[in-house]
Amino acid sequence: MIYRETGNFVTNYFKDREIFPLKFDKIIVILGLLILYLYVPTTSEYTLSAHVIPILAVGLATVGLNILTGLTGQLSLGTAGFMCVGAFSTYNLMLRMPEALMSLPVALLFSGIFAGLVGIIFGLPAIRIKGFYLLVSTLAAQYFVWWFFNSYAWFLNYESSGVVAIPPKMYDYWGLGNLLGVDMQGYPARYVLALTVCLALTYFAKNLLRSNTGRNFMSVRDRDIAASVMGISVPRTKLLAFFVSCFYCGVAGGIYSFLYIGNVDLMIYEIDRSFTILFMLIIGGLGSISGSWLGAIFVYEFPIVFTWIGDTIFKGAFNTAVVENVSNMVYGIFIIALLIREPGGFAALWATTKQKLRMWPYPH
Amino acid sequence: MSDILKVENVTLTFGGVKAITDISFNVKEGEICAVIGPNGAGKSSMLNVINGVYLPQIGTVTYDGVERRSINPRDAAIAGMARTFQNIALFQGMTVLENIMTGRNLFMKSSWLEQGLNIGRARTEEKVNRLAVEKVIKFLQIESIRKTPVSKLPYGLQKRVELGRALVAEPKILLLDEPMAGMNLEEKADMSCFILEINKEQGITTVMIEHDMGVVMDISDHVVVLDYGKKIGDGTPSEVMSNQDVIDAYLGVSH
Repeated sequence: MIYRETGNFVTNYFKDREIFPLKFDKIIVILGLLILYLYVPTTSEYTLSAHVIPILAVGLATVGLNILTGLTGQLSLGTAGFMCVGAFSTYNLMLRMPEALMSLPVALLFSGIFAGLVGIIFGLPAIRIKGFYLLVSTLAAQYFVWWFFNSYAWFLNYESSGVVAIPPKMYDYWGLGNLLGVDMQGYPARYVLALTVCLALTYFAKNLLRSNTGRNFMSVRDRDIAASVMGISVPRTKLLAFFVSCFYCGVAGGIYSFLYIGNVDLMIYEIDRSFTILFMLIIGGLGSISGSWLGAIFVYEFPIVFTWIGDTIFKGAFNTAVVENVSNMVYGIFIIALLIREPGGFAALWATTKQKLRMWPYPH
Repeated sequence: MSDILKVENVTLTFGGVKAITDISFNVKEGEICAVIGPNGAGKSSMLNVINGVYLPQIGTVTYDGVERRSINPRDAAIAGMARTFQNIALFQGMTVLENIMTGRNLFMKSSWLEQGLNIGRARTEEKVNRLAVEKVIKFLQIESIRKTPVSKLPYGLQKRVELGRALVAEPKILLLDEPMAGMNLEEKADMSCFILEINKEQGITTVMIEHDMGVVMDISDHVVVLDYGKKIGDGTPSEVMSNQDVIDAYLGVSH
C-alpha cells in the first residue's frame, strides 16, 4: 500500500495539528490543486457553467450553514435569504460605488460583511431561544429579506421585470482582463475567481474549526451551560457564528448571481433553496467541512445524472417534473437512512470506509 | 489561613420550594472542603449558587475578597473558579483533547480572524496551550485516549476528562460535584489520589460534594453537612462524625 499511516510519527504538537498530516495526502492535495487550476478551466464551457461553478456557489453556502448549524448547533432556514442579501449587495456595490474602488472580489468581501450583519440581527433571538424555536426567527429572516428586496425597486435599479442582467463592465477587475488578454466575463475566468474564493474560505473555515473559536462553537452546541461555566461567552459565540455563517452565505450569493447565472433575480432565493442547502448539509454530514462539499456535489448533481440516465438509457422517458419529484424523494430517503444508520452523513461514511480499508482484510 | 470563599445567609427558592435556607460557611484557602448530605439536601444547588449558575434570593458569596450576591458564570471562571458537574457535562461531540483544550479558552487572546487565517498569535497560542493541556493529560494518565471522542469513553474516564478540563484552566478554587459517583473501588482510589495531589501539590482549594463517607472522612480537611436545605453540621471530619444532628440525618431518629 502506498497510502498508510504507519511510520508516520509526529514529533511535536505543532505537527499533530496539521490539516494533512500524511505526506501522501499532501501530494494528493497538490495534484488536486493543479487539476482544479490548470485542467478544469480548459474543459468545456458547459461543464463549467452547468456543473462546476454552481456547485462552488451552493457548496460555499453549505459550508456557511455548517458553521451555524453543524458546529454551533443553531438551526437556520434563512440561508437563501442571506445569499440574497449577498447577491443584492454585490450588485449595488458594483453599481453605485466608484469603479476605481470596486471590483468583484472587493464587492464580494463587503457583501459578505453586509450579509453577516443582517445575520447578526436575525441571530439576536438565538441568545434566548434554542432549537426549533430559532427556526422561526431564521424563517422570518428568509421571508423578510425576500419581501424587502421585492418591495424596494431601488435595489434592482428600478428594473421593472424583477431581473437584472449583470452588465459586462462589472467583470472588469480594474482592466485586468485586457492586461492579461483574457475574457474576464468568460466562464474560465469566472471559475478561477469562484474557485479561489471558495478555497480560501474553506481553508478559513477549517482553521476556525481546529482553533479556539471552533471549539467554542462546538461547546455551545454540545453543552451551553458547561461552556459558560468555563468562561465562554455564549451570546457572543452564537452571534459570531451567525456573522461568520452569513458572511459565507452572502459571498455564496454573490458568486451564484455574478459568476454562475449572470443576473440578479429574486426568484432563485426562495425558501426551497434554503431547504436544498439544508439537505446538502445533512446528507454531507453536520460539522464536517469536507462533508459539506460532498453533500453539495451529491444533491446538485443527482437530478442532472438522473436526467442523463433518463435521456440515454430510457430515451427521454423522464420529464422535468418526474426528475424533480424523484430527486426530492431520493433526498428524503437519503436523509432518513443517514439519520438512522449514520448521523454523520457522507463525511462519516468516508471516515468509516477509510478505517475499513486500513484494516482490510481483518474485521477489527 | 484566610478564607477564600465565604457563603453568608444564602437562601435559594424555586417558586415555593426552598432549596437552600439561610446557609453560611467558610472555605479556607488551600483546604479540601466536602459538602455532604442526603439526596435533595441542596448540595448541587449550593455549588450552582457559588459559581453563578443560580441566583440566590437572599445572601452573599464572598470570593477572593469580593462580596456579591450574584456572579455571572463567565466572570466566576475569569476569577479562577472551575467546576465539574454531577451528571458529566462534557462536550460529547468533541475529542478528549478538544474538550480539555476548551478549558484553556480564557488563555486564548487571539481574535477569530487570526485563528481563521492561522497567523500570528493564533499559531503560537495553540502550541503553548497544547503544552499545558498535555501536562494535565499526563497527570491524569489519559494519554492513550486523547484523540477519542468523549462519547465513546466509559463513565469513569469521562469523569477524569471532566476533571482535566476544569484543572487545565489553572483555577484558584475547584468545585467538584460528586467526582466519584458511580465508580468502582479502584477508580475511586485513583480519583482520590488525583484530588489530593491537586490540592497538596498545586495548592488548589477544593470544594467537593461526595456521598462516599470513607472518601470524605479520609481526604477532606473540613466537612459541611446539609439536610433539607439547612446546614446541620460544620467542622473537621471527626467533629462532624460525632455530631448528633448528622447522625440523626443519616441514620434516622427513633420515634
